[in-house]
Amino acid sequence: MTPGSYIPTEYFPVLVLILVSIAFGLGVILIGGLVRLKRPYKEKLTPYECGNPMVGAPREQFSVKFYIIAMLFVVFDVEAVFLYPWALVYEDIGLYALIAMILFIDILLAGYVYAWQKKAFDW
Amino acid sequence: MNIPLPDLTPIIPEIIMSIVTCALLTVEVFVKDKTKDFLGIICIGTALAVMYMIPMSQGVTFGGMFISDGYSSYFKFIFLISLILTILISFKFIQREDAEFGEYYSLLMFATAGMMIMASSADLILLYLGLELMALSTYILAGIKRHDTRSNEAALKYFLLGAFSSAILLFGISLTYGLTTSTNIYQIAEHLKQGETSITLLIAMIMIICAFAFKIASAPFHMWAPDVYQGAPTSVTAFFSVGPKAAGFAVIGRVFFIAFESLQMDWTAILIGLAILTMAVGNILAIVQTNMKRMLAYSSIAHAGYALLGIIAGTTEGLNAVMTYLLIYAFMNMGAFAIVILLEKGENIKDYNGLSKSHPLVAAMMLVFMFSLTGIPPTAGFIGKFNIFMAAINAGYTWVVVVAVCFSAISAYYYMRIVMNMFMKPMEAEAKIYPNPANGAALLISLLMVFIIGIMPSVVIGYTFQMFM
Amino acid sequence: MNFNEIFGTFGLQSTSFLFQLLIVLVKIAVVIAITMLHVAYATYFERKVIGHMQVRVGPMRVGPHGLLQPIADGVKLFFKEDIIPSNADRTVFQIAPLVAVFATLSSLAVIPFYDIFYIANINVGILYIFAMSSLGAYSLIMSGWASNSKYSFLGGLRSTAQVVSYEIAMAFSLVSIMLMAGSMNLIEIVQAQQQYWYGMYLIPQFVAYIVFLIAMLAETNRTPFDLPEAESELVAGYFVEYSGMRFALFFLGEYIGMIVMSSLAVVCFWGGWTVPPILLKFIPQLAIVPGIVWFILKVYFHIFLFYWIRATLPRYRYDKLMALGWKILIPVALANLVVTSIIKYIY
Repeated sequence: MTPGSYIPTEYFPVLVLILVSIAFGLGVILIGGLVRLKRPYKEKLTPYECGNPMVGAPREQFSVKFYIIAMLFVVFDVEAVFLYPWALVYEDIGLYALIAMILFIDILLAGYVYAWQKKAFDW
Repeated sequence: MNIPLPDLTPIIPEIIMSIVTCALLTVEVFVKDKTKDFLGIICIGTALAVMYMIPMSQGVTFGGMFISDGYSSYFKFIFLISLILTILISFKFIQREDAEFGEYYSLLMFATAGMMIMASSADLILLYLGLELMALSTYILAGIKRHDTRSNEAALKYFLLGAFSSAILLFGISLTYGLTTSTNIYQIAEHLKQGETSITLLIAMIMIICAFAFKIASAPFHMWAPDVYQGAPTSVTAFFSVGPKAAGFAVIGRVFFIAFESLQMDWTAILIGLAILTMAVGNILAIVQTNMKRMLAYSSIAHAGYALLGIIAGTTEGLNAVMTYLLIYAFMNMGAFAIVILLEKGENIKDYNGLSKSHPLVAAMMLVFMFSLTGIPPTAGFIGKFNIFMAAINAGYTWVVVVAVCFSAISAYYYMRIVMNMFMKPMEAEAKIYPNPANGAALLISLLMVFIIGIMPSVVIGYTFQMFM
Repeated sequence: MNFNEIFGTFGLQSTSFLFQLLIVLVKIAVVIAITMLHVAYATYFERKVIGHMQVRVGPMRVGPHGLLQPIADGVKLFFKEDIIPSNADRTVFQIAPLVAVFATLSSLAVIPFYDIFYIANINVGILYIFAMSSLGAYSLIMSGWASNSKYSFLGGLRSTAQVVSYEIAMAFSLVSIMLMAGSMNLIEIVQAQQQYWYGMYLIPQFVAYIVFLIAMLAETNRTPFDLPEAESELVAGYFVEYSGMRFALFFLGEYIGMIVMSSLAVVCFWGGWTVPPILLKFIPQLAIVPGIVWFILKVYFHIFLFYWIRATLPRYRYDKLMALGWKILIPVALANLVVTSIIKYIY
């Protein structure tokens, strides 16, 4: 197969469903907009704080843990992404794939143990 | 489908470095010892073992991506020497600086492994991989004093600018790939030999030059160097001023001498401008510094300028001169930093006033390193500069050498000022020193090498040739 | 460029293209209609199930046994005022619910309900579902940020961290399925399970199934991992500021997410629409029952599991939630993967 000659016909229904689901979401909101009430006033439009007036700014500093989780997620998710193609061709490659992946997971494991011991998973 | 295992012999040093480092990282978190000295000792042992192994692991592997030859081996020696010296000078120092984390040693090792990959890469992608491994480790090292604002500033500046330079490098690589349909530097060279040049190719090459110039702290991409050198812990600064710089020259040598060989006229013209600007900026701004580390930062910028002359020469002789120069520079700069670390207060140039009266031996050693940095015989610095200038003159760049010599004369002012402060100025306060065996060993090695290379240059230069040919 | 060329890029002639489009649209209409109906009655089902588990009766007033309750709820939400808080980030605030419903609804495209009834048959089915469920995390963080309210901000942060944490465990657990089947195509995964006499990966991959089940609960923000919503502390979490139809879209997204995840569990671990061959051998009459019935039964078992767990278990504490995800599920899933690959190599 020459590059560029592949036409992903089987993705066509996916595209249609994506368009339909966007249209669905927009549709219910827009059609609903024709019939629903609209009576805003100042108190109604304030952020909800259990009925009390708002105290302080809503977007305050938050725990640095969230950043750590985000970074760890990137690391592990990329590892997982490398595992997908490996899993698919595992049968064809055999022992070499097994050894390579065990080494790969070991490297991941080193980082994992490190992160665990540095209490990155404790809140 | 049966995929053969690639020949791992050439890459064994890097593998050992990485495995040991990963092991250190994981072991360290379990060890509750207060002192982390044992980690440093393991690192030195590993580095020595790897140095022993490098000559035995020559070859090409991973489909021509990874080359371990004389050239890369020589640079790997420089990296490992700078690693060992850095660890020696940091043992007690990082305790003093409150930066004693187990990660310190691991990061140094990772950075060195990255440099080794850079030196060995024959493929721009692998080069980028090594460069990032080195760069990411050095960003953290710069900020290892977590509660020090200057250190944080240094890390952030280094990271932001370094990320920019990496991005520019990637642009350059992708443009080159688009034009030559390969990332392998030998294949790029093959493609470019057919004689096609375009403005896009030139832009790609300039982008790659920019990124490498950033790594070697060459003007106008030197802005990060003074702040980072000042903010980072002194031992890390010593490492920065030698390791990444040498790694930058290693890849410049490989990429420009092989991949862009047919564009030599173009990159020589660019590099001449860079070199002169670098020498000017480094030497002139070094004069006005009052902080020792900033002064050494500008001095290292200036030295990058001198070393560029060897690349400009574009000959094997020039490249050899650069390699020799970097080795010499590693010893003399490490020595100077070892003295800065030895003193309790070595940050300000004023602190050196009257040092010869309180600690004559320390002052004498500093004198040697300053002479060597200036390039005064019989120290090694002279040999280094001499070789570089000779190579450039032989290649026909006499006027550039004249400019370089002028700037070298200017550099004498600020190096000699330290010497003058130490020997001529009255003592203001008794300087306190923290001698320890490790630092002493580092000083001794540096001192000996500065003299050995200075007095018997043919030994070292012969070695360079032997490795490279 | 005329239409023929545009269609041509999809490898279709214009007449056959329109025909195919029609077929696809009909399929989509069927799937969406059934899904919507399901979502409506899933809420009823949930309230009834939990009601009876807690010795209550659940909704009884609207229609016989409260059967019209979901319709009434839908009509009410449709006419409710759409409030956008004055200091909210309007654009993002308005887009977030659309993303929520889009991400889950479009996942339905690759789910094989039956060997002849599916919307699309693509090679990277699992990857597509992962991609779409990752996209769902955007709706959480977008709504949490754009509402500009403390509850939604905290809820958005928490749920994003939770969803991304459990996504890794889920990915690792499904990698072992891909390894067993040698494919990411969901139909091929179902067919690959037929080679066993028990006809499902549930037995060899029991560990992965448990990991997947737990991660599934967390991914869809269901009890005991419903911390983002956590009524008692965060009121409703990231969608506290939403009302009316936009709120309904989030709700819809969550329930469709449950269907998608249950279907994925059924396809990957329970043999999809098939019956275990051993069962078919002893009771050949089962072959008469169409596969879609088995599929729906299996999906409803999982949805019942969702409700059952909700009625049984209290909410997790956040630190325990993260510890469970990172310290137990990920290593277990990884170990399972390594063991699977070694066993697969030996055989």
